[in-house]
Amino acid sequence: MRGIRVWSILMMVSLVLAPLAAAAGQASPPSDKAGVQAAAPPGAQQVKPAARQEAKPAAKPPAKKGEEKRTEEIVPAYSDIKQRSAVIVFYVWLWLSIAVLAYFLRLWIKEADRVYKAKYYEPEESPRKGNPMAAGVGE
Amino acid sequence: MRINNAYFTRRKFLNSILGGWFGAVIVSFISPIVKFVWPPYKEPDEVKLVLADFAAMPPGEVKIFPWGVKPGLLKRAADGTFIAWVGVCTHLDCNVSWVPDKKQFYCACHIGWYDENGTNIAGPPPKPLRRLDVAVEGEDLFVRKPGAGAKA
Amino acid sequence: MKIDLKTFLAWFDDRLAVTPLVKYMTKKEVPQHEHSIWYYTGSSILLFLFIQIVTGIMLAFYYKPTLEGANASIARIMTELPLGWLVRSVHSWSATFMIAIVMVHMLSIMLTKSYRKPREVTWLTGMMLLVVSMVFGFTGYLLPWDDLSLSATKVGTNIPAAIPVVGRWVTQFLRGGDDVTGDTLTRFFLFHVCILPLVIFAILVVHILLVQKEGMSIPLKEEIAKKTVPALPFWPNFILREFIIWLVLLGTVLTVALLFAPSLGPSADLMAAAPEGVKPEWYFLFLFQTLKIFPANMGPVTGEFVAVVIIMVGIIGIFVVPFLDNKPETKKGRFFTYLTYFGVIYAIAFSIWSLL
Repeated sequence: MRGIRVWSILMMVSLVLAPLAAAAGQASPPSDKAGVQAAAPPGAQQVKPAARQEAKPAAKPPAKKGEEKRTEEIVPAYSDIKQRSAVIVFYVWLWLSIAVLAYFLRLWIKEADRVYKAKYYEPEESPRKGNPMAAGVGE
Repeated sequence: MRINNAYFTRRKFLNSILGGWFGAVIVSFISPIVKFVWPPYKEPDEVKLVLADFAAMPPGEVKIFPWGVKPGLLKRAADGTFIAWVGVCTHLDCNVSWVPDKKQFYCACHIGWYDENGTNIAGPPPKPLRRLDVAVEGEDLFVRKPGAGAKA
Repeated sequence: MKIDLKTFLAWFDDRLAVTPLVKYMTKKEVPQHEHSIWYYTGSSILLFLFIQIVTGIMLAFYYKPTLEGANASIARIMTELPLGWLVRSVHSWSATFMIAIVMVHMLSIMLTKSYRKPREVTWLTGMMLLVVSMVFGFTGYLLPWDDLSLSATKVGTNIPAAIPVVGRWVTQFLRGGDDVTGDTLTRFFLFHVCILPLVIFAILVVHILLVQKEGMSIPLKEEIAKKTVPALPFWPNFILREFIIWLVLLGTVLTVALLFAPSLGPSADLMAAAPEGVKPEWYFLFLFQTLKIFPANMGPVTGEFVAVVIIMVGIIGIFVVPFLDNKPETKKGRFFTYLTYFGVIYAIAFSIWSLL
């Protein structure tokens, strides 16, 4: 029934989105310690690259020697501009590759479907089945 | 120019692009992974020591100081200056020790001997001990890689 | 001698006899109907499991599973190693994605009633895989050893203590003693990287073999109508579609991991008071909330005991649902469908409630 299908899809989508929302909410854990650098704020703020620069300051823990305990939170950040550029390039390359590969895979899928519909590779129904001269038909 | 029949078909061309691009994606994943698991430890370029710990050394005495994770050897020469080596045998990386009676460095792993200047004199070690530069600056004793220059 | 793919494969075939296996796989077909989109969930889980193994191994190169070293080693991974924070982030997010898709997979099976005869054992192995995945998540959550994970683990390992008779021992086994200590951490690490992977591989092999043997299930109404459903060959048609899905999922998890990388709190202090906002990972939230709503004392037993009993009954119920729902085409079947909807609403509602 269409109603159940819509309902099921809505549930699946909310099931997938709920943990993302919960985890994004968890991304800013309770910060009651003074001097904590900005913990990664949840949600849309981080999409803009300009905001990202300040949302994730290069967070190395202060140079502590010996057994002094770290009191600050470590926020994930790039260690230099080269790393940041490399990561951005990698992601652009990744999504570009996904688009290109998906395009080619769709071509292959269309062909495979067409071939299957035309029953091209079914030696069981092949009219040449049993013919000793028809070596390798559909193999 | 249109070629009616060709061995390299359009199909093969597109397949090669697909396969090639996919291979490139795989390779682009490999480099960060390899860089990550490649050991990050490097020897330090310089080590700062407290001069007071070593100021009272008489000529001919050898003390050990940490050079990263390896032992460094600091010796007071006859003229009062300091000499330093990386205290690791050039044969197979065992830690060497100072034998005061013979005034030589000894590696117990394969019975290698170095003289008081770190030159290999007996046993399998192929090269002398690695020298390090020593500089006294005020209260501190700096040990540096040779050629690293006077970096404050 | 000709060098081409066929002769290359023939070399293996002469020695390993892979042709029957290959022929079997080429015969596999995937039915096409309005619910066949859910067939993609199974292999997506495998994709995320693979990502977890790769990133997990990378992290394990530098992680130190001791009380003194755990937090510091992760701090080192995040600051010193090239893109270590990204590896950790991918590992953390891929866990979330994997369990989310496991739940979608399970839900789709429940709603299409694919657990009916002859697939009951497949369902049982699948439920075991769900439990193992959630234990993976639970053990992994402690490993950073910061305040939040320590408290969450204290709460989580205390729950079995409410089970009568064996509860105490279970808690002691999980914790390596009566309290959460460095031993607990080492123990959880062992579970996470050695015992659970072996267990999950063993159950996974059985699960996948059963799926191949039984074939893909078709929805109830088609089966009742005895209609022949059009089918797609697994190779290459279905697998090519799966490749696209895998690529998109891979890109999504990598992008989300980049934008929402988790941070690391300072090392946990065993003497400190519990921090504000202690909560487990999202997939345990509804259980957490269920425990919270029971009062401390209910007659002769604690509220926690009642809650644990109810939850265990629920879990056992889900395990044996193929045997309970043995006439899925009748009203009883519809009742179980509504029960499933109710279960989903309960889980989502309680999860959201626990965050408020």
